[in-house]
Amino acid sequence: MKKLHILGIIIIAVAIGVIFVSLKNTSTYADFAEAFSNPDKEYHVVGRLDKNQPQVYDPKVNPDEFLFSMVDNKGITKQVVLHKSKPQDFEKSEQIVLIGKMQGDNFHANDILMKCPSKYNDGKQQIN
Amino acid sequence: MTNITYVGEHLWAGHLGNGFVVLALIAALLSCVTYFLSVSDGSYLKLARFSFNLHSFSVFGKAGTLFYMLFNHYFEYQYVWQHSNTDMNMKYIMSCFWEGQEGSFLLWTFWNVVLGLLLKRQLKNGDWEIPVMVIFALVQVFLASMILGIYVGDYKIGSNPFLLLREHPDFSNMPFVQNENYLAKLNGRGLNPLLMNYWMTIHPPTLFLGFASTLIPFAFAIAALWNGKYSEWQKVALPWTYFGILVLGIGVLMGGAWAYEALSFGGFWAWDPVENSSLVPWLVLVAAGHTMIINKNKGGSLFTTHFLAIGAFLLVLYSTFLTRSGVLGNASVHAFTDLGMTGQLVLYVLTFIFISVALLIKESLFKTSYVVLSLLLLAFALVYGYARVTLMVWISASAIITFVSYYLYFPKEKDEEDLFSREFWMFLGSLLLILSALIITYFTSIPVINKLFGTEYAPPKIPVYNSWIVPFAILVMLTIGAAQFLKYKTTDRRKFLMRISYSFGIALLFGLVCSIPLYFMEMHTGNSDTWELISYALLLTTGLFAAIANADYFLLVLKGKVSKSGAAIAHIGFALVLLGALISTSKKVVLSKNTSDKKVSALGADFDEKRSILLTQGDTLPMGPYLITYTGKKREGINVYFYVDYLKKSAQGKPEFDFTLVPHVQDNPRMGRAPEPATKHYLNRDIYTHVTYADLNIDTTKNKANAYSSAKNFIGHVGDTIFSSNAIIVIDSLRSNLSETEYKKNDSFLEVTAVLRCVDVKGKNYFAYPKYIIQNNVVIPKEDIVDKLGLKLVFWKINPDQGSVEITLSERLSNAKDFIVMEAYVFPYINILWLGCLVMAMGTIIAIRERIRKFSVKQN
Repeated sequence: MKKLHILGIIIIAVAIGVIFVSLKNTSTYADFAEAFSNPDKEYHVVGRLDKNQPQVYDPKVNPDEFLFSMVDNKGITKQVVLHKSKPQDFEKSEQIVLIGKMQGDNFHANDILMKCPSKYNDGKQQIN
Repeated sequence: MTNITYVGEHLWAGHLGNGFVVLALIAALLSCVTYFLSVSDGSYLKLARFSFNLHSFSVFGKAGTLFYMLFNHYFEYQYVWQHSNTDMNMKYIMSCFWEGQEGSFLLWTFWNVVLGLLLKRQLKNGDWEIPVMVIFALVQVFLASMILGIYVGDYKIGSNPFLLLREHPDFSNMPFVQNENYLAKLNGRGLNPLLMNYWMTIHPPTLFLGFASTLIPFAFAIAALWNGKYSEWQKVALPWTYFGILVLGIGVLMGGAWAYEALSFGGFWAWDPVENSSLVPWLVLVAAGHTMIINKNKGGSLFTTHFLAIGAFLLVLYSTFLTRSGVLGNASVHAFTDLGMTGQLVLYVLTFIFISVALLIKESLFKTSYVVLSLLLLAFALVYGYARVTLMVWISASAIITFVSYYLYFPKEKDEEDLFSREFWMFLGSLLLILSALIITYFTSIPVINKLFGTEYAPPKIPVYNSWIVPFAILVMLTIGAAQFLKYKTTDRRKFLMRISYSFGIALLFGLVCSIPLYFMEMHTGNSDTWELISYALLLTTGLFAAIANADYFLLVLKGKVSKSGAAIAHIGFALVLLGALISTSKKVVLSKNTSDKKVSALGADFDEKRSILLTQGDTLPMGPYLITYTGKKREGINVYFYVDYLKKSAQGKPEFDFTLVPHVQDNPRMGRAPEPATKHYLNRDIYTHVTYADLNIDTTKNKANAYSSAKNFIGHVGDTIFSSNAIIVIDSLRSNLSETEYKKNDSFLEVTAVLRCVDVKGKNYFAYPKYIIQNNVVIPKEDIVDKLGLKLVFWKINPDQGSVEITLSERLSNAKDFIVMEAYVFPYINILWLGCLVMAMGTIIAIRERIRKFSVKQN
């Protein structure tokens, strides 16, 4: 298997090399401050919904735009423009992960992941 | 605690179940030890077989008891309470069994036992019975301990499905525990409604049977490392490996079909960690199956075969760890919750790596050093901590030792493969599969890497996976096409090139011609990456090549003889799966974007993507080639159904009804709202829709009749208009009981009436006369209601300086039309994918039959 071994080792080396190179462009978890300092890079920002700020979703104007505010884990609040329809059960979410970039003073997210408490809490409160 | 005698509990069931749990563990352990002892002393063999049967009996007993408890609603047991209730349809009772972790471990153990009994019978009195069954029984010891649920010190081993609700740590201090009659009014929490479908009945058993079948090549491979007979086991294990490829493959694709039909991922494959972690063992098992064939026909590739056979099973364990330890956290939508078994799962994976490496070393001093080193590191980690560093040291040491012992002890091929030999291309194909498996594993493991190295990488998105996997798929397709026409050892080059050039020529022609409209035309639009489009065109061409070359081989070389053509047919199927996936994904059309002509975000192309359409009840909107109307909604139980009619232009240009799609949203009490898609299937395309935003409340008109929306204020002059949702309101004139001068003289009473003319959509006039009254300096507005239009108007302010008036408008809630926000996609030619699945399964079944036939011919 000489020929194949050399071939295999080359392929593996190239793959590992490319993976390490590509890590630089990989989105990372961050807070708003970091996303703000690097506005061209995509980040995953973890936080929770700021319930004191208004939420605007007017599908008659644009069904793919939803505005709200999120507090990140460092306590900084930013207005978020989500370029998607308003997720179902949004108010119930316990934790939010936004995927997007900072542009101007707002965070623009392409996608959102939500953690809802009911899914994890397994309904302990249901008895009695 | 005082002694309470609870009413109505069936304590015998729990005792029985726990008896089986303990017996299963002890019998597996006994079987493992006695099989091990019978290597040197044959008198233990009887006891070994008996204890494996006893273990099997206990596993069936456990499963039977749990099923009986579910069937009879023994809610005093936590597992039964958590996963079933009395209201549910009994046809889902099987799904309750494996909804939870304990039940799914039990299902896995069950399949292992079924396969173990079959294998034990097949191998009886042969060379392989003893070593294989030692490994088999050892795995069963580990699996049986996963549902043990006992505490050793502070550490919990396993999680037990026969635990009483009132003894469960989460519930044991709740008030109901004090009530001796708590069972009387207790109903279960029930199966998650999202899982109440036939997929949940068939997908987990198939997938777990696939997982279980990876144990057979694993057990053989370890046994071979142990007794040094590296190639003899492969022909015995080959049909089983094919069986694993078949069942695990079906299980994985079933998961894709489930996601496509019932979940709103927007496709059949989302590279979700849970999907990936069952795909990766499949890829490795397929590679193992191919290196085993090489070995059978020509010898060699022994190390790779052992490495892969062991790897497939370890990857199943690793995927269990990934999906059940909670390590994925934010990365997956449907991982299990953590039951505190992470340590146990990691320990099992490491134990089997340890056993494999230790058996690979043949020299006893070297072997002892490795064992001592491992134990020292374990002790170090237990005493001083630094688990991560220790783990990395140990893994690196094991990897180095593996390669050293490979060079020292493992039989190797002397001569090199010819470039024009089948084994070269088969091996290359396997290598490519392994590499893609490694890449997928790497991406899926990013949460684990973050934990180990303290990094903060986010899991990659779907396009990242696609761009990595497509190049590998292109190369794999090339090897699949070329390998069939090559012979083992060496092939006449000219003949080979002649034979292959037909399929290659046709595929190239077809691929390039089809790529012009599919991919090349798009390059000028600049909407997509040129390299991406080229890679799609290449995959299309090589995929066609793989399918055509194998069809050619099947028809012309094998002369259509089905029993010999398992491989060719399975490869055609695999090529079709990739072609279907490629076309339906790369040419997926977002139908719902065409009509949303509203403002495009001013922030550049990044966020222009339009995917949703707003449908107001009764309005007809163009969407792609259709005109669509949202006609209404209906609630059935927890599901709210939204009816959307699709109309098409007839030959005369008149819209004609075509079909109705009813996407629904499940108002799931446990998980929140879950949209479920509705799809119209055509032979050449699917129209796939799901509702992303909607009001799920269906109020009867009765309680809405007198409710009004919150008021909106308008400031205007005489002659101005106010718009409501159903009318235009003109301020015709203002009339007063007094002139301005009169009012100033005597400020006792002023009444100003606004004459408002409301014109409805049909042009009919209605009048409203709201009044603005000042009496003794107090403003008392008097509202007026236009009942026919459901408008409430309040004239509440006069601004004498500007000469303007302020009027508020509220509309009856029933005026506001219901609306939904929906996404719609076309998946072209997705049926090629499903057809490919069937063809691949058929081919694999034919290959299994042929292997079994050959094997039994040889034995006679």
